[in-house]
Amino acid sequence: MNSSQTLIEIRGVKFHNGDRTILDIDHFAIEQGKFILLRGKNGAGKSTLLKVIAGLLVPDVGQVSIKGVTVPLRQAGRDLRRQTVYLHQSPYLFDRSVFENVAYGLRIAGTSRTETQMAVTDALQWAGLSHLVDRNARELSGGEKQRVALTRARILKPQALLLDEPTANMDRSARDQTYELIDKLRKEGIAVYIASHELENLANCDRVIEIDKGRISRIDAGVQ
Amino acid sequence: MEDSLIQASINAFKLLFSGDRELWEIIGISFLVSFRAILFITPFAVIVAFALAYGNFPGRRVLITIVNSMVALPAVVVGLLLYIMLYNAGPFGGWRLLFTQTAMIIGQMILAFPILVAMVHVSLRSIDLVAWETARTLGANTARAMFTIIREVRFGLIAAIVTGFGRVVSEVGCSIMVGGNILHHTRNIPTAIALETSKGDFEQGIALGAVLIFLALLLNFTVSAFRGRDRASY
Repeated sequence: MNSSQTLIEIRGVKFHNGDRTILDIDHFAIEQGKFILLRGKNGAGKSTLLKVIAGLLVPDVGQVSIKGVTVPLRQAGRDLRRQTVYLHQSPYLFDRSVFENVAYGLRIAGTSRTETQMAVTDALQWAGLSHLVDRNARELSGGEKQRVALTRARILKPQALLLDEPTANMDRSARDQTYELIDKLRKEGIAVYIASHELENLANCDRVIEIDKGRISRIDAGVQ
Repeated sequence: MEDSLIQASINAFKLLFSGDRELWEIIGISFLVSFRAILFITPFAVIVAFALAYGNFPGRRVLITIVNSMVALPAVVVGLLLYIMLYNAGPFGGWRLLFTQTAMIIGQMILAFPILVAMVHVSLRSIDLVAWETARTLGANTARAMFTIIREVRFGLIAAIVTGFGRVVSEVGCSIMVGGNILHHTRNIPTAIALETSKGDFEQGIALGAVLIFLALLLNFTVSAFRGRDRASY
């Protein structure tokens, strides 16, 4: 692994729920521009691992290095959330228009109204979703929701996107459109880490990491 | 008897629409006290509901059960406990709050609290943790994420506030015990109805009762409308 490309590294992460070990990871890294597939059975710990890296879950113990600075994971939530965006299997879109959903993160960051307007317009155009701009996000199909969620994530310019089963329960066409968008994100240099069961994701991925009972059980080179 | 009741009802509505000062003052006190109680307790109830919905701490489930059980807390018991706290020899007797609107507000806050917490908690649980995590991963700090979620469950929150207001504006047990039913100060609609009825003066009682019934209908329609909106938005 080339350390100069490492954005986030976690070490010695343990996460328990009562007596049950949910996560026990010695070392895991998010590398710049990589497309990594996390595979494993339901409940293997894939989503938990992604949520820990996204700063949404605090493990019992563990350390994280972000751009070379090491701190306990307990204290790193904010920094992790600045670097990453996590997308749920069924993304949650707020009960507002598509425009407002995509603009959400920018508004929080204090971006001006004019800049937000321009950025959202560009982002929706990039994703081919301009025609949905005024629609209430709750009225969209599953595939459209996922693409709006990806656009909403991309507009924040994260270093890494952490996607949890992004195409689960989608039909062929919606799945293809979603992967098209994910591919465009990769080409922009964003690291994409996907937890998924689907074998078709193997195409073009840099590495396949197998998670079993909260541990990394196997690492394979991806199919290029 | 039937004729006298009909006559009393006619007189009651005449009284209501004639702008009788005493009657409207009672209505005003009633609304002001209950409005303040709901206004003061709602933020606290929302924070507690958030902690119960998304918090991860020991005893959370027990607390949820306790809050749900307290929804049916008898107003007269709250009145009794508050009276014991506030009467001259009580632990807070020095504050001289007994038989004041402040005491009534405190009592109504206690009564509304479990209703608000329980209803807001249900609304928050209905959108799951995913909404919270989405706001956080998109850069919202805790306060901003809370406001985002409140906006998401706004119809449920309004329904909770309306239900809580309906409960406290019509309660009599607590208000009469800690308010004392003092004319121009602490006499509100329910305590006035109780007093006037005991004196055999039905006119004011019926007029005030009509206001409460109208309010109950209005609140129920409002809650139904918001519940419909809430369901429609999912």
